Amino acid sequence: MLRNASLTLLSLAIAIGLGGGSVWYALNAQDGVGAIRIGQWTAFPEIGTQAADPYSKARVAREGVLALGQAEGLSFVAERDESGAPLKRQCAYTIVGGYPTARFWTLYAADQSLGVIDTGKARQAALQSYEVLRQPDNSVVISVGDRPAPGNWLLTNGFGKMYFVLTFYDTPIASSTGLSDVTLPRILKAGCHA
Amino acid sequence: MRSLLHALILGLLGAGIVHIAVLFLVPEFSERDAWSRLAMASDLYKMTRLDAEAGGAPVVKSVDPMFYAAACRFDLADGLVRIRAPGDVPFWSASVYDRSGHNIYSFNDHNANSEKLDAVVLTPAQMIDVRRDLPEELQGAIFVEAPIEEGIVVVRAFVPDDSWKPIVSRFLEQSACELQDY
Repeated sequence: MLRNASLTLLSLAIAIGLGGGSVWYALNAQDGVGAIRIGQWTAFPEIGTQAADPYSKARVAREGVLALGQAEGLSFVAERDESGAPLKRQCAYTIVGGYPTARFWTLYAADQSLGVIDTGKARQAALQSYEVLRQPDNSVVISVGDRPAPGNWLLTNGFGKMYFVLTFYDTPIASSTGLSDVTLPRILKAGCHA
Repeated sequence: MRSLLHALILGLLGAGIVHIAVLFLVPEFSERDAWSRLAMASDLYKMTRLDAEAGGAPVVKSVDPMFYAAACRFDLADGLVRIRAPGDVPFWSASVYDRSGHNIYSFNDHNANSEKLDAVVLTPAQMIDVRRDLPEELQGAIFVEAPIEEGIVVVRAFVPDDSWKPIVSRFLEQSACELQDY
């Protein structure tokens, strides 16, 4: 009798614990269902639409996101550099390469909640395409770190995990067919503070 | 031993069921979705700044730091809702969301008839009524037909650098979200 009861309890514990825990895990993972990966960058083109999968819908509801519409733009998030190491606020990076067609784009360094990191200075940890200097081949080289750098400099400081968020506005790639042959800039580590 | 295995398998099966059930219940019961957050911040038909610039923590998460945004909640059961804002910013875009935060329709300043933002959100049934006798002042507006009742409109505007901040702030302050008679 006791044996039966404890076995029932075990089944229930596994069911509720594992079931609830797996949902929690799936909603927190950056790399969820419906993601499109281009290099190190991840986008969810269908997030916040009626066509989204249940995981995206749950994420939208839980985090209170109001996702960009197709006529507005598309956001990409990177959490690793090209060698596969997680991005860190205490490290310096170089973001090199060309960008797909868009009216303009913005790039910012974000913390865990994908809000812009607080640099504690007047300069924001954000850049946009109208203000960047370009190479002769129209590509852009951006230095990321806490030391001022010539050319394009994205200020970051502090310690801990970091994300880059790259958003294209008024862009044809926001419609899903446009995403097939898009290339995005590479993220190279330039060095770290101890 | 057999019964322990039995219990484990049953548990795993149950975990699958619980996973699916929880997943579909999250949107129904979330108190942290955009609508609830906005409801805490302001009333229906009131443009509310979403970015932190207006003071306090941002109402809705993950707004681009180079953007200012404002939102208003509406209920089409009360009538048409008209959203207006003067032009003169480098880029603006607007989105209509349903009650649970799904993007129904979006457009930007290049899609609009003029630089000014002038849009009317209405249900298909109201659209039929309005078409019959289109009021003079709605001639230039963008009509967004949305099969919803409660919803959210978000206006976003690009702030290229600090010098644009007062201009973009004024753009959003002058934006209006009001019930429209027809």
